[in-house]
Amino acid sequence: MNPLDQNSQANALLDYIVREVIGRPGISLSADSPLVSSGLIDSFALVDLLAKLEDVTGMRIPAGKVQPKDMDTVNLMLLTATRIGKPKKSS
Amino acid sequence: MPRYETLVEATLAAPSHRPFITMWHDEDDFTTMTFGEFVRSARIRAAEFQSKGVTLGDTVILIMQQGPSLMASFVAAMLLGAVPSILAYPNFKVDPVKYRAGLSGVSKNLGARLIFLDQQFPEGLLDHVAVNDGTEIARDIGSDELAFSADLPVLVPNSNSVAFIQHSAGTTGLQKGVALSHRVVLKQLEHLEAALRLNENDRIYSWLPLYHDMGLIACFMLPLVYHLPIVMQTPANWVMRPGSMLSLISEYGCTLTWIPNFALQFLSRRVPTDDRASLDLSSLRYAINCSEPVRARSMDEFYTAYSDFGLRPDALQTSYAMAENVFAVTQSGTAEGCAPSRMWVNARLLIDQHVVIPMGNGDRDAVCLVSSGACLPGNQVRIVSIEGEDLPEGHVGEIAVKSDSLFGGYYNRPDLTASVLKEGWYWSGDLGFCLDGELYVTGRKSDLIIVGGKNIYPQDIEEIVWSHPLVHDGRAVAFGVFNSNLGTEEIIVVAEVENQDDLENAFAIERTVRNAIVAELGITVRAVYMKPPRWIVKSTAGKPARFATRQKLLSEEPGLQV
Repeated sequence: MNPLDQNSQANALLDYIVREVIGRPGISLSADSPLVSSGLIDSFALVDLLAKLEDVTGMRIPAGKVQPKDMDTVNLMLLTATRIGKPKKSS
Repeated sequence: MPRYETLVEATLAAPSHRPFITMWHDEDDFTTMTFGEFVRSARIRAAEFQSKGVTLGDTVILIMQQGPSLMASFVAAMLLGAVPSILAYPNFKVDPVKYRAGLSGVSKNLGARLIFLDQQFPEGLLDHVAVNDGTEIARDIGSDELAFSADLPVLVPNSNSVAFIQHSAGTTGLQKGVALSHRVVLKQLEHLEAALRLNENDRIYSWLPLYHDMGLIACFMLPLVYHLPIVMQTPANWVMRPGSMLSLISEYGCTLTWIPNFALQFLSRRVPTDDRASLDLSSLRYAINCSEPVRARSMDEFYTAYSDFGLRPDALQTSYAMAENVFAVTQSGTAEGCAPSRMWVNARLLIDQHVVIPMGNGDRDAVCLVSSGACLPGNQVRIVSIEGEDLPEGHVGEIAVKSDSLFGGYYNRPDLTASVLKEGWYWSGDLGFCLDGELYVTGRKSDLIIVGGKNIYPQDIEEIVWSHPLVHDGRAVAFGVFNSNLGTEEIIVVAEVENQDDLENAFAIERTVRNAIVAELGITVRAVYMKPPRWIVKSTAGKPARFATRQKLLSEEPGLQV
């Protein structure tokens, strides 16, 4: 994965989090901003975030191997996808 | 089913070859343990506890991740006649200083002889934790590594001895410990056995935490005593992939499950269509909606989503339960084929005046109420007015409960006990009414907030918010607002800044406050509103008035009520 790819993936996730999950366009978050541990999102949003992460990275991520702490920042999410994700079969 | 004197006797009577716990983490990561293996695992831990000096009547606090080791440790303490109590496992959001203070408080209140942890428990949460003299802290080293002492004496107390302590609402350090004897727990289970027509082919599914009565009683004590298999996930595992619950029920043919209201909606909306294709939920006899207010809409949504996958129309049932009564007071659907009763009433009059005025289905201002069913045998409820008078059917008042499984009081808290337990009746603080022999729960007397089945006192949140230097001391309120998309309440915080100019820093204050709430209480609030001085409505006594402030905010922000 080249840096540009990862950057645009991070931006896509951040945009989704700010608009759809937190619902507060205009606030500034970075790829290292804690999300769950800072109280910005709760664990019930993680199932949607995991789906978005799969979407953005093109990976299939086995949810049973993901802990909420693996999803606390956008960078951790991308790291989790790289660590345990498998490329999606093209349909 | 034979009648047992104690939970220990019931456990030791289990056929050893019978499957007990299937712990599921992933398709390629699950284990199944028989009752024989479970009892062996418990006896090994009992020997370990005994070597630490644990004996009859001692309290043992268990803080371990959900699974067979925690369950075996729980039974291990009971094998010695000691009293186990499970505390919530700290999640990664917790603030170490607050956690240590909380653990210290609860350990002192329980007079714990041993605090037993798993290998993964973070060392940093233990540094300098203040416990009583004589309290030992030890870690589980994994049962199979230890020699099995077959001649370990089982110190069985009598049926009136305390079997375990389960916790009611509150933050860690201030939790109310509900001490329950073997006799009352077995009584409750006997009533559930009859109400649910338990049979040897039953199999339970659960992701519910074991520090909560619904997880501990319905999904651990019930299968333990009636020798039924259970399929389990951890709550964190379930929340990452909610549909796995339905796949497991299908795969293992589970017949019974308990579920808080929000989860019905979560499952209706968050399971991808592809993951539903192979579901077969026809084995499910009971999916019992319990532990937070029951909503007709959530139940209908779940049924609509899964009726094509074998879900029976009478499988979705309801129950009114509380830790103080061991668990259930009422249960619906005890007659085969009956869905819970429903009625339409005038919503405005119900909320404002606590009066039940029946209306037609779909009438303007009408709300649909779902019955929580009839009392279990040995259980009675009274509906009492603010003036202390018993109310007739169809009138809303406080629900008081009396039963043969009622607790004797909060552990070491006679002050709290005296305020809720009077002349054999437990004053629940919940509001409701009876009609045609069934109980309808309509709200709460206090401002308690229930989020996803977890009880939260608003004052615990407010104290954290006040501690922010830019928030006016004592000028913050927290309250619940029902979110119909989630099927549960969400927490809203309103706080006044010290000076008008501080509003420029509103978002920074909000982030600090959110951070502190999650670190201390493990709770995520939906929204924090920073307001100018003197915005919050005060009561006649000059204190912030939660209900009036809530109404003021909702009139300004109608979008909050979805």
